[in-house]
This record gives sequence, C-alpha cells and structure tokens, in this order.
Amino acid sequence: MIKFTFFENLSPQVISTLIVVTFLAIVFIIVGLKVKKLDPHKMPKGFLLFCILVVEAFNKMVKSYVQEKPYRFFAPYLFTIIVFLAFANTISLFGLNAPLSNLGVALSFSVMTFFVLKIAEFKYLGVIKKVDGLLGPVKPMAILMLPINLVGEIATPFSMGLRLFVNLMGGAVIATMVYAALHWTLGIIAGLFLHAIFDIFFGLIQAFVFFMLTTVNISMATDA
Amino acid sequence: MFGMIFDSVLRFATEYNQYFSSGMAYLGAGVAVVAGLGPGIGQGFAAGKAAEAVGRQPEAQGKILVTTLVTQAVAETTGLYALLVAFILIGK
Repeated sequence: MIKFTFFENLSPQVISTLIVVTFLAIVFIIVGLKVKKLDPHKMPKGFLLFCILVVEAFNKMVKSYVQEKPYRFFAPYLFTIIVFLAFANTISLFGLNAPLSNLGVALSFSVMTFFVLKIAEFKYLGVIKKVDGLLGPVKPMAILMLPINLVGEIATPFSMGLRLFVNLMGGAVIATMVYAALHWTLGIIAGLFLHAIFDIFFGLIQAFVFFMLTTVNISMATDA
Repeated sequence: MFGMIFDSVLRFATEYNQYFSSGMAYLGAGVAVVAGLGPGIGQGFAAGKAAEAVGRQPEAQGKILVTTLVTQAVAETTGLYALLVAFILIGK
C-alpha cells in the first residue's frame, strides 16, 4: 500500500529558499512599479536611486565581458542569479539555514546553468558550429575527442553547483561545530568572526564567482 | 616496515567489525583532506602573481582583484571536492 502525500516535510533550507524568493519577488515588483512611474525630468531619490545605480554598474560590468546581442538576452537572468545568491548566502545572519547548504538547491543551480549554456549555444552559435566544436580541430582524432568534450559539457555546470554547495556546507558545519563546543557566552564572540568570514565574505565571493563563471561561459559559448 | 603494516592491516581485516569500518572511514576522511595542499599552493601562487601585477600597474587594481578572486575560486574546486568526500565519509 503506497501512501500518497502532496507535500513531504520541507527541509529547512528549502523553506529559507522560499522565504528569500518571496522577499525578492515583492521587492522587485515594488521597485519595478515605482521605476515605471518615474518622472524622467527629475532626479530619483533614496532607495530608487540606489537600485538604478546598482543596475547601471551591473550592466557596465556584463557589457565588458559579453557581446551586445547575448547581453540583451542574458543580463536579466544574470542579475537575478547574483541578487538571489547574494541574499541566500547571507540569510543565515537572520537565523535561517543557508539555502545553498542543501544539495538539491545547489544542483538545481547547475541544471539551470546547463540549460542556459545550451540555449546560448543554440541561439548564437548554431548546431553545425557546435558539433564542429565538439569534434575538435583535428578531424581524424574526433573519435577520441568527442567523449572528452561531451563529459566537459556536463562537468562545467556540475562543478559550479557543487562548488556553491561545499562552500556553504563547510561554513555551516564549522559554525555548528564551534557552537556545539563552546559555552553560549563564548559562542557569541566566536559567532561574530565565524559569520563575518563564512557568511558575508565567502558567501558574497561565491555569489560573485558563480555569476562571473556563468558570464564567462556564456561569452565563450556565444563567441567561438 | 611495509610488510609489518600490511600484516597488521590483514590482522584487523580478519577481526573485521563495525568499529573497524567506521574507524577506517574517519581515517579516510583525514587522508582525503590532505588534498588541501594543492589548492593552497595554487591559490598562494595566484595571490603572489596578483600582488606583483598590482605593484607593476597600480591603476589596474580593480580588474586584477576580480580576476584573482575568480581564478582562486576555480583553483579551490579540487580542495572542495576533497572536503565533500571527507563529509560523506564522516556521515557514513
């Protein structure tokens, strides 16, 4: 007899993922509505100005790595990725579990990256050039090069997701170990340094690195 | 020397039980983390070259910092795999 349930108990990491997604969705919708109503003759103020400056800086950065056409298509995706990762990696400051310390969440990022790279290749490179690239420059060696290149197609996104997972997981494990070993008064002092290093510093660097690697891979997939 | 180690391992294997297995798993976790040597050398090399580059061209500091962070994170990957293997072995 198989029992059918709609929802298994969600793991705490997935719950904090949902919280981050909901929060970011609300913020993005509000900012989008406000930007739409903006008066072009007046200087924007406060939080809106900050958002506009962030998007400008981001656009300038992506433009220096990707060509014009792929930039128009992929910049929104890249911005979503980096904002979500930056929030998700620092969310453990608020007492929630870091979402990326769950293998399922981290590997869903590699699945997403895989499909994005395939879309970039089919849209801007074409099937014939892609197959030509897979066979390698020396055609008699193609039978040797093809399996290696096919493994590389999967290994790149897989290692990107796994890198995120192990970084956040390592931080979470070390923090848990130190908290378990110390009395809570010492734990507060140790937590100051632990969260500064593992959540803010490593988390933001990993978010930036994931975004940067996606950008570089997209530009490599569309150039060639 | 090597024969002695081999003999003792053989003797342990004949007295195999779950304590032996979990002990070997912890030992394996410890051995796996030795792979941290490689990324350490690689990251140090990258950081040294980045410092040299900043010394030569102080105006390009921003771009050098970005490139260094990305390349160091890529060099870190093998060490992270070792950490993953160690975690899996500990959880056994």
